[in-house]
Amino acid sequence: MNFELNEEQQQIKQSIREFAEAELRPHVLEWDESQHFPIELLPKFAQLGLMGIIFPDEYGGAGMGYIEYATIIEELGRVDPSIALSIAAHNSLCSGHLYIAASEAQKHKYLLPLAKGEYLGAWGLTEPSSGSDASSMRTVAVRKNGGWVLNGSKNFITNATFAATTVALAITDRTAGTHGISAFIIERGTQGFSVAKKENKLGMRASDTAALVFDDCYIPDDNLIGQEGQGFIQAMKVLDGGRISIAALSLGIAQGAYEAAVKYAKERHQFSKPIAEFQAIQFKLADMATELEAARLLTWRAAALKDQGKIVTKESSMAKLYASEVAVRVAEESVQIHGGYGYIKDYPAEKFWRDSKLCTIGEGTSEIQRTVIARQLLRA
Amino acid sequence: MPVNIIVCVKQILDPEIPSRDFRVDAEQREAVRGAANLVTNIFCENALETALQLKEKSGGKITVISYGADSTEDALRKALAMKADAAIHILNDGQAHPDPLSVAQVLAAAIRKLGEFDVVMLGRESGDWGVGQTAGLLAEELGVAAVAFVDKVEIGADGLQLKRQTDVGYERVAATMPLVISITNDEHNVPRIPKTRDVMMSFRQPLTKWTLEDLGVNAAEVRAGNHYYAVVDLFIPVQELNCEFVDGDTLEARVEKFAQRIIEVTGSM
Repeated sequence: MNFELNEEQQQIKQSIREFAEAELRPHVLEWDESQHFPIELLPKFAQLGLMGIIFPDEYGGAGMGYIEYATIIEELGRVDPSIALSIAAHNSLCSGHLYIAASEAQKHKYLLPLAKGEYLGAWGLTEPSSGSDASSMRTVAVRKNGGWVLNGSKNFITNATFAATTVALAITDRTAGTHGISAFIIERGTQGFSVAKKENKLGMRASDTAALVFDDCYIPDDNLIGQEGQGFIQAMKVLDGGRISIAALSLGIAQGAYEAAVKYAKERHQFSKPIAEFQAIQFKLADMATELEAARLLTWRAAALKDQGKIVTKESSMAKLYASEVAVRVAEESVQIHGGYGYIKDYPAEKFWRDSKLCTIGEGTSEIQRTVIARQLLRA
Repeated sequence: MPVNIIVCVKQILDPEIPSRDFRVDAEQREAVRGAANLVTNIFCENALETALQLKEKSGGKITVISYGADSTEDALRKALAMKADAAIHILNDGQAHPDPLSVAQVLAAAIRKLGEFDVVMLGRESGDWGVGQTAGLLAEELGVAAVAFVDKVEIGADGLQLKRQTDVGYERVAATMPLVISITNDEHNVPRIPKTRDVMMSFRQPLTKWTLEDLGVNAAEVRAGNHYYAVVDLFIPVQELNCEFVDGDTLEARVEKFAQRIIEVTGSM
């Protein structure tokens, strides 16, 4: 067992850190306040290889594994969690679904430009009335003229406004339950397909989140991914990988919040000494660092197993569950250590706290993760 | 016209570490590494970026050379990830801080071993000791001209067109090759961040390793080093902050006194 990144992975980490410090750090607060996703940086993300991290060269990707992917998302999240989230959703969800289940022709037409970073991708599973109970979705796809007509809506969709390619799930056979759900590729500009309300969020405000509407939207049969009725099963596989990226995003938030707390504790003097010299603060920092390391090990383990081609449903759920809850706790303690300054926007603590909460909700709530884990434990 | 470029880089202690974490070992007269990272000296990266831009326009080849301890391999891998064509590591197996003349002799021997070159680029100085002599001494060792503090390099009619910073502005210099240039930072040579894929590929590229013995230099002399140069003392300056109020009956009197104090204080500095 090796619990350290190899040299190559460390260099990648360093490279992303330099990029995040130079290109993201100066704008974090401004983007948060204006809810601006920096689409203008897309060519730079693409050039670094961030838009197709886990896909092979032949599909325009950087051909890296999940350990590298987790490292990159963590480093982005350490500086700007919103950007990390948008990039993770692009890689794991939209592009990930195409990579796992699309035909060769579909991969070349849609995955290639996504992985090269020519534009962003979005993925639509959640609906206004179906969140944790994803299979209760209402969006329907009905066969017509050698294709499908979609009606319904999706919400809380990351990258929705900017995506040129969206993968969305719809019911194709209401009587077949989860085996009656199929996945479709929808191009921007398709008649009957529109982006609706952009959400005004608590955190992750620079990440674009909006609703999608299908109103008699005709999709050719060529854009059905895999077999009819396989969409839900494909989606569950997509989420197995996606959870690793949310665990990594959580690590980034926790790391950023922890570093801010250490810096502040060394600088802030009360009772004639730095507050870091008080055991009350030291114990907080010790707990934060320990939990962070534990979360990182769980995440790396899930990533390493995924790289070995193993099924990681349980491991990725454990990593996502634990890391996201650690992120919320560490971010909250960081605010507490900052005291009054943790409550104002001159310091980064409050933003990490706001951003962290998404991680225990998005891509499966903590409660759903526990359900998934328990189901895996009791299956035997 | 393809240009055969050699870039010399140095790995140093990260100068960006917070000052509160910086310590020196007064007895050894060295900085204590502590938790700080080792990084490529920023001016060396400016030099590599300048070389990469020149090669993009003119074609040619970039070979990066570094004389340093085992960890120097990281700096060379990064240079390969930034798209240098080849990298050579000359192992420094002894001295923590070789003097600039020893370094110049070692680099010159390596460059002679490589054969022909058109231009050697170095950072104007290193971010750790800041001596700034290596480029000049290297040119002397190689018997070619040197131009210092260059921030822009372009292909000219029969050589290179260089723009160099001076105390009062800048100079444009027409230079024939081969020559040695020391590069300073400028908005146009901010080092690129390598693509993740290129970082990965850099670990699969060959990296040439030479020892001092391979270069035919007087290894014992180089290892002994510091013939003309010694660090006498190393300490962190103590900063004293004083706050002084000026008094006076009128605003004019206070301003007058304030101005006078400024002259006194700055005059004594």
